[in-house]
Amino acid sequence: MTAARTILAGAASALVLALAGCNDGGAKFDRNSQIGPDPVLPAPQQYLVPPIHVAEVVGWGANETPTAPAGLRVQALARDLNHPRNMLALPNGDVLVVESQGPNLDPITRPKNPIVSWVQKRATGQSGAKPKGATNQITLLRDADGDGVPELRTVLLGHLNSPFGVVFADGYLYVAATDAVLRYPYALGQTRITAAPVRLTELPGGPIDHHWTKSLTLSPDGTLLYATVGSNSNITENGMEAEKNRAAVWEIDRATGRSRVFASGLRNPNSPNFYPGTNTLWVVANERDELGPNLVPDYLTSVREGGFYGWPYSYYGQHVDPRVMPQRPDLVARAIPPDYALSSHVAALGLTFYTGSSLPAKYRGGALIGEHGSWDRDELNGYKVIFVPFTNARPSAKPQDFLSGFLTADGSKVRGRPVGVTVDRTGAVLVADDAGNVVWRVSAPR
Amino acid sequence: MSANTPSDRAARDEGNPRSTAKLFGHPLHPMLVPFPIVCFIGALITDLAYLGSANVQWSNFSIWLITAGLVMGGLAALTGIIDYAGDRRVRAARPATPHMIINLSVFVIEIVNAFVHSRDGWTSVVPTGLTLSVISVLLLGISAWLGGSLVYKHRVGVRS
Repeated sequence: MTAARTILAGAASALVLALAGCNDGGAKFDRNSQIGPDPVLPAPQQYLVPPIHVAEVVGWGANETPTAPAGLRVQALARDLNHPRNMLALPNGDVLVVESQGPNLDPITRPKNPIVSWVQKRATGQSGAKPKGATNQITLLRDADGDGVPELRTVLLGHLNSPFGVVFADGYLYVAATDAVLRYPYALGQTRITAAPVRLTELPGGPIDHHWTKSLTLSPDGTLLYATVGSNSNITENGMEAEKNRAAVWEIDRATGRSRVFASGLRNPNSPNFYPGTNTLWVVANERDELGPNLVPDYLTSVREGGFYGWPYSYYGQHVDPRVMPQRPDLVARAIPPDYALSSHVAALGLTFYTGSSLPAKYRGGALIGEHGSWDRDELNGYKVIFVPFTNARPSAKPQDFLSGFLTADGSKVRGRPVGVTVDRTGAVLVADDAGNVVWRVSAPR
Repeated sequence: MSANTPSDRAARDEGNPRSTAKLFGHPLHPMLVPFPIVCFIGALITDLAYLGSANVQWSNFSIWLITAGLVMGGLAALTGIIDYAGDRRVRAARPATPHMIINLSVFVIEIVNAFVHSRDGWTSVVPTGLTLSVISVLLLGISAWLGGSLVYKHRVGVRS
């Protein structure tokens, strides 16, 4: 019996050592070295148990707001929303808020799946807090006097299939649900849409729908739509057939719905935006997980027609991912490194270029990026909105915090998580906070 | 399981070494061991199929087989340890201790293997996962042989 005990204890401690020993990766790594055009990329690490750190979502107290740079004012444009993820400021000043939750279509193919999805749901605040109302809808906020307090709040459109992107053009509202771009006739000022939509273009939305957010923008000439379609896995573990036409930016003809893949190899691209005054499309993208806390940095990049940006075969150009088989040296050879790294696992989801004029002049033409925040590294990363200065339509300096305080001071709890960012008619910046269930408005006092 | 009354204990030194974990007089350990053996050998085969095809369904088979092997192997280990602890003469049989040590080693290796197989993509199997599967199956061959000796030679659990 003593022999058995000794062996059991030995085996248990060996196991603990094996699990813990592979979990270091924490030696102080300078996150700033992964921000900008030429990030430091450490060697990939593979784990027995990858680092996971999610903080409890506690939400915002009535008088709490995130923190903006000195001189700017932060107000809640709307509270008690249900997972607001994206917004559209209409030309008449109305603001549309897309409230959305994922379709939860990921099959259980391995024992790991339910565990990981539980962790991720916890990080999003979807497991604890019960939904207070309907989600998967678009809410209209009308703040006619521009004081940041809407006089009208009403549901414009309900019962959507995990919507994310929304665009207005020529009397139509285009909504990117997770499985299709829908077109609704819409007159500015209208507060309820009852007309049935036209399914303009089918998008990959199942049976597996891992990265489900389909975001949308309009070309500068107004004839084309660009939709982002994220990958169907972390790194092809659902099979390559599930990745057809995914990890890509689609170009869609607004009149006919005809579509093609415009650029590919972008693992989870979101919030496409043309740089103002140019024909250059930019996106933020979330890179792959489980290669270490400091791999692979998420990024902001311009997107070239026909460009291939690496996923799944490689990252940042020719850094081959050993987890993908068969490999494709032909594609790796032409993989384009992204323009501007944002550091690892920040989960950049929102992007807008500041086109207003009411904030201080330094913001004009720069990028505002919503970083939803990490779950798969020990030290939380992201959980803020950053500002990246641009000069000559290119990122030109290190980012500055634009909206922070989404974590409690000790970093142990999450108040909210920023997603979509947009600019309203008055030049104020709006930020959708899907864990705090708030739309924040950052303005310069008049 | 059998009652463990004083008269039972007194009877132990007579006849063959007794199994303690029993159901209606049949030792449980031999009923449970085929599960982990088949699962871990199956996982080696599906690992090899993945090595040859890079088709993810095979690596998915592997992790389910390893998981099932660990669950049933845990029960087999429990009943085995009860038998080992329950009769001095079982412990005295020469193959008993190596049989237990090797099987517990396989169990630990397969726990590590489950984590390796939970990685995403090719490196969930090649090379570490496949290597651990090969080592486990080789060790299982030895410990199964020793387990056979315990019954067929040392008559552990055989009715006197």
